[in-house]
Amino acid sequence: MASARKGARGNAGTAYIGMVTVVALVAVSVAVRAQGVPLGPDLAVFLVLAIVLPLLQNVVDVGDRVRVDISSILSLAAMAIVGPVGASLAGAVTGAFTGRHLAPRIRLFNAATFALYRLLGGVAFQATGGTTAPSRLSEVSAVVLSLALPMLVASVVQLAVNLVLVAGVVRVSHGVPMRLQMASMLQGTGLAYLGFSLIAIPLVVLWKPAGLGPEAVIIVLAPLLVAQWAYRQHAEELEGQQRALEVLVAAVEAKAPHLAGHSSRVAELSARMAEHLGLSPQFVADTRMAGMLHDVGQTSLSTRVVRDLDLTDPSGGQDGYPEAGVALLDDLTFLRGALDPIRWHREALGSVQSSLPSRIVALADRYDLLTTVGSPGGTVQASALARDLVAAEVVGADAAVLVRALDEALARVRSDQSPT
Amino acid sequence: MTPFVRLPALLVSRAVIALGAVAVVLGFVSAGDLLPRLLTTHRHTLLLAVVLIAAGELSRIRMPSGRETAPISSAAALAVVFLARIHGEPTFALEPGLVVIVVTAGLATAAAVRRVRHERVGVPALAARSVGVWVAAWLARGVGPSNGTLWAAQLDPTVTQGLVALGMVMVAAVGLLTELVLVAGIRAERQRTPWRAAVRDEVGEAAPLTLAVVATGPMVALMAPVLGLLSLPVALVPLAMAYSAVRQYARNRETNRQLVATLSHLTEHGGYTPERHAERVAGLSVRIGRVLGLGDRQLRSLEYAALLHDLGQISLLDPIPDGATVLAAPADQRDIAEEGARIIRRAENLDDVARFVETQTTAYRLVRELNEPVPLESRIIKCANAFDDLSAGSGDPVLVAAAMERIHLGLGYEYDPEVVDALTRVVEDVSVGRVDDRGVAAR
Repeated sequence: MASARKGARGNAGTAYIGMVTVVALVAVSVAVRAQGVPLGPDLAVFLVLAIVLPLLQNVVDVGDRVRVDISSILSLAAMAIVGPVGASLAGAVTGAFTGRHLAPRIRLFNAATFALYRLLGGVAFQATGGTTAPSRLSEVSAVVLSLALPMLVASVVQLAVNLVLVAGVVRVSHGVPMRLQMASMLQGTGLAYLGFSLIAIPLVVLWKPAGLGPEAVIIVLAPLLVAQWAYRQHAEELEGQQRALEVLVAAVEAKAPHLAGHSSRVAELSARMAEHLGLSPQFVADTRMAGMLHDVGQTSLSTRVVRDLDLTDPSGGQDGYPEAGVALLDDLTFLRGALDPIRWHREALGSVQSSLPSRIVALADRYDLLTTVGSPGGTVQASALARDLVAAEVVGADAAVLVRALDEALARVRSDQSPT
Repeated sequence: MTPFVRLPALLVSRAVIALGAVAVVLGFVSAGDLLPRLLTTHRHTLLLAVVLIAAGELSRIRMPSGRETAPISSAAALAVVFLARIHGEPTFALEPGLVVIVVTAGLATAAAVRRVRHERVGVPALAARSVGVWVAAWLARGVGPSNGTLWAAQLDPTVTQGLVALGMVMVAAVGLLTELVLVAGIRAERQRTPWRAAVRDEVGEAAPLTLAVVATGPMVALMAPVLGLLSLPVALVPLAMAYSAVRQYARNRETNRQLVATLSHLTEHGGYTPERHAERVAGLSVRIGRVLGLGDRQLRSLEYAALLHDLGQISLLDPIPDGATVLAAPADQRDIAEEGARIIRRAENLDDVARFVETQTTAYRLVRELNEPVPLESRIIKCANAFDDLSAGSGDPVLVAAAMERIHLGLGYEYDPEVVDALTRVVEDVSVGRVDDRGVAAR
């Protein structure tokens, strides 16, 4: 059933990509008939940059953590220097070359999306008084009225079109709600995108009125390349953070070998439940982190005690280890949102006052303890029986919703683990 | 024996301050009489420049190594070096000496604000910046072929603006490099680190931001004929983006350090090791590593390994008394180190750290006699750990002396003599090998 669902989504995704490509082709053809292609050395420079920059970015894989999108800045500047058609053509080339190991259909989608949102941004730029002859700009008021304000409008249009197109394909292909996807994209590069016009303005001014020509790209892009470098370091640091957290979990598992893999399973299940319940990306991340670290407090107990602990007994004495875990992690500001679920995960199922993330982690923990960890020397429960046991333990008006979230999360985990 | 000539302490710092003072005095001597007129004709430009230089200086970034840098202030200072035609304002035709005075006024304003806030000013680093600006201003406005200086070339419509921009970038790079080398000299003197290692670290860590700064000064000058004074804040936007990114990365690095420090607390909370033992060993190890000329990346792995060197105790069924591994049997020491390394290896890409932890117990004689491949980082941790275990983490001179005596007894057999020598220097002088506490504010 899971593979059938995946197959249906794959077909829908292909249809969606085909539709976006056709719309982009029609739109660019209409624009070319109306305005012509701005042939010349400036367009050549933008096309070369459209090929070179994605290749340069490909050298270091920074995933979705690139906060400074240099090609977007160039696309805004291109609207003024080579017009909407030139910006759109350069966009199509950038889209086709972006990404290292992408399938041809994804490249096609990227090329069509880039061409379309840059064309529509360029049209908005011209419609709001943007100039395509920036050499004539000679004072501040002209720069503001004929360049800055139209560029700001164009960047909003570009952002909106891009968000809708990308969130659409993710919705169709992977079933992720558009609202979640758009929120996640906005959080990543969205708002920074509006600031890109502030950088495109000096690029246009240096290129045309100041008479520097294409060399302006080098001057303006130098600080941006530095920013990109720093964000790559930042991404590496985040990976380092992940690695250190893995060591933390490994330390727990060295002390309690029977818990091997438990933390990561609870983290995954908790995150899926949080997603199903529509929590914001930050809450989902906090819940995942809490699931990963909920047993860290056990390191404060002696090894003998930890190895004899029966976690499957909800009324069993736990020697206050959840509180000890919170004390250990208290100084780490990035874990602040995870502390509450860590503190209450042993009691949250039976307490209606507990926060939703606490109840999610508690439910995921309890289910995994019963089905995989088991009691010391004891046996584990079958999935269906364990599901009914934990469902009976959840109190409060949201009990049914939580149990449904667990069912959905388990289905998604199984679907991801299936070979197809 | 009393030396014939005793060099004054902090000689380099004083020399840099003197050089900065000379630059300012020469400015007054060569063009001081023009200053009153300048304050009238260019008051808007001067005010904006001084405010941006001061504001940039007040918003320094603390880099991961603990160095501080003020890219926005440096870029604004370089903009003053190159500014010529400004839309809506008279042409900014200044003698090089006056440029130094304007920049120093901005830096002095920031220094005064810091003084009022009771913050560290870092005068030698500010003087280094004035000297760097002096060099750049002289190259841009004071020297050139017979048909004029680089500054004058901006106003000449027959000169290609691309060439002018290239010249400006090169001059800005020379000015910044001058400042970096001076700051490295000050740092090498204060931390007693090798001068070459100080220059390498200074230039290496500053390189990306330097690239951003050298582009920003020329950008202001080239846009000013169109945007007027607005070119200053507008040109700073890309740099501000780089600034924000670097600051975020530096903060994240700090968060990671805290996270690893939290890992080191696992054994403390479990009662296996004394309070703050791992942090003391890490602090000591990094200072020793710096004295021995390790680079920033190596120091980082060394710090992580030192923080985690006792992690293997976490799964012991019976804790070692007081967690003092130096007093445990060699076989137990090895088991603990191996268990620690095994836990660390569960995470990807921490192989270096795991290796340092794993080989921290190996006696130095095995390195000397059997050529066992024990990294310097492991030898440093071994020594720092022994010192902290033997002195019980106390600053008590009697305990410290006893610990040093014990370590000297194992010199060449248990401990690497080079590391012990560095440990001795670090223990004798609290400033040796430190960056942040008595650090120098760099560019």
